Amino acid sequence: MADRIDALEIDDIARQRREEADSLAEDVDRTPVRTYWQLVRRRFRQHRMAVIALFVLAILASYAILVPLITGDAYADPDIFKPDAPPEIFNEEGEFTFAILGYNEIGINLFARLAKAIQTSLTIALAAVVIILTIGILVGSIAGYFGGWIDNLLMRLVDIMLSMPALFIILMLVSFFGGGSMGIVIFAIAFTGWTTAARLVRAEFLSLREVDYVQAARALGAGPQRIILRHMLPPAMAPVVVAATLGIADSVIVEAALSFLGFGLPRSDASLGTMLNVAREFFFTDPTKVVYPGVMLMLIVLAASFLGDGLRDALDPRQRVEAK
Amino acid sequence: MATYVLRRTLQAIPILFGVAIISFAIVQLAPGSPIDRFRNPNVRPEVLQNLIRLYGLDQPWWDQLIKWLSTFPQVWREDAWGHSLFFYRPVRDIILERIPATLLLGGTALLVTIVVAIPIGILAAVKQYSIADKIITTFATIGYAIPSFLLGIYLLVLGAGILGIFPSFGMRTGGAGGGDPLDVAWHMVLPVSSLAIQQIAGWSRYVRAKMLEVLQQDYVRTARAKGLASNRVTYKHALRNALIPVITLFGLTLPGLLSGAVITETIFSWPGLGQLGVQAVETRDYPLVLAFVMVGAFGVVVGNLLADVLYGLADPRIKY
Repeated sequence: MADRIDALEIDDIARQRREEADSLAEDVDRTPVRTYWQLVRRRFRQHRMAVIALFVLAILASYAILVPLITGDAYADPDIFKPDAPPEIFNEEGEFTFAILGYNEIGINLFARLAKAIQTSLTIALAAVVIILTIGILVGSIAGYFGGWIDNLLMRLVDIMLSMPALFIILMLVSFFGGGSMGIVIFAIAFTGWTTAARLVRAEFLSLREVDYVQAARALGAGPQRIILRHMLPPAMAPVVVAATLGIADSVIVEAALSFLGFGLPRSDASLGTMLNVAREFFFTDPTKVVYPGVMLMLIVLAASFLGDGLRDALDPRQRVEAK
Repeated sequence: MATYVLRRTLQAIPILFGVAIISFAIVQLAPGSPIDRFRNPNVRPEVLQNLIRLYGLDQPWWDQLIKWLSTFPQVWREDAWGHSLFFYRPVRDIILERIPATLLLGGTALLVTIVVAIPIGILAAVKQYSIADKIITTFATIGYAIPSFLLGIYLLVLGAGILGIFPSFGMRTGGAGGGDPLDVAWHMVLPVSSLAIQQIAGWSRYVRAKMLEVLQQDYVRTARAKGLASNRVTYKHALRNALIPVITLFGLTLPGLLSGAVITETIFSWPGLGQLGVQAVETRDYPLVLAFVMVGAFGVVVGNLLADVLYGLADPRIKY
């Protein structure tokens, strides 16, 4: 009898335990496991201005890509009968003209020209930033990984570059070698711009070099190439991505400044800088010409800097964001 | 301290040397020759040959480099920095006479920055999350992001174009009454604001961040806990430590003063170094271009050194 009760009790306890375990398992299942990138996305979304900035940049980019595709060479096609003509949404035949912003002083569709200008400016900025990152990561990782005299030598080179008046060196390069090509503008921006990325990567590498898992990889016999590419570069990328975002803003500014002064691209090419350069002639007679390129330039720069701020907070793995 | 300054000065020499080599290389590698300007059918080839010999262009590049490097530091000599190919005068004198205008513009902008940015930065920190703080922070974020040359364009179009109150170019009005201090000040309003607004934005953000950092430290809490007046703690105990890092900012801003705000000076036709530099590049005036780069680099080196020395003087925790 006693045995039977015991057996029943044991059954009971066993069932209870099983139920508890099941409900616990359910709880565990319901607690989401977040990867690094999910956390990044979560932290980024909490940065309202950065989300808006990303949205603005996406709109500007699609405007700059799509409108020139659709309107063809309207950005360089003057109409002698329409200098400074007001907006005209539909032409005489009732077709949509894309002339939402009217025409410029030689009768070019401003909406199309502005799109092409943003395209040119962003292309230059992106290309410059890609070169800056390539050189910066290469120099920074070599200096930070090897240290010693290599580091010393490369960092003195960085010191020298940082002591030169950057914008003036860019002016020299573009003016002496230029002939108004996009390539030399990109090269000049990259020539003076790689030092920040190099310093950031070097600083990250110097601290990563002493971290246990890197030491372990070295102890297991991994070569410098494998350690740098697989173990040190990925965790060092966060500040570099932020710097690259801000670098895009800087490059757009430099291109605009160069072309505005008449050094960068020729006026026939549409860029934010050349549009400002043209507007320069009308500063006192028709100040509205500054508005479109000026506002676009400001939008790009503001959006890129907000995006950079957001990415800085989002990519930092030391930041903890409570689940909401 | 003296040994530290000496060591830093000695370290600056290889850096300036490197700057000299790189800028010389750019000029050497540039296609074309400075005498191309003189080539036309009316100029006899012998004249061109004479010019080439006069400028030393017939020498191999290493001889030119050594000659330039060895004469450049002899600033007491009139021809130490060579002769301008455009102004036909010693480069040293041209640069020296442009420095006052640049220092006036940059110095005033720096002064305005300090006078405005530090109080509003402190205000934003002390009254954190207040309306004043939000206004200042928003202004600082936007002001920091607007490129200063675009701001210059806007100010020019607005102040000199649409409103028509301020002069649009130069440093003084021609003719009678031009050039007295009030007239120069009137000309400075627009360029100084376009330089200062961005710097104020950057500085006030920095001051605010540093002030907030210091206000949270233990010694400030201790001072409050022992019953000191709140204002006294904020403006005496906290402020002094919060302002020390601002010295670094000062050192970073300083070189911009000397090499001039290239674009701002050009937009407002301010007769300073920056405008001269742009002109020198346009006319391919190589001796002037090289001297300009060296003066700019010198400004950076001196600015950094000055910032570090001042930091050491202001912060007793730093020992050299």
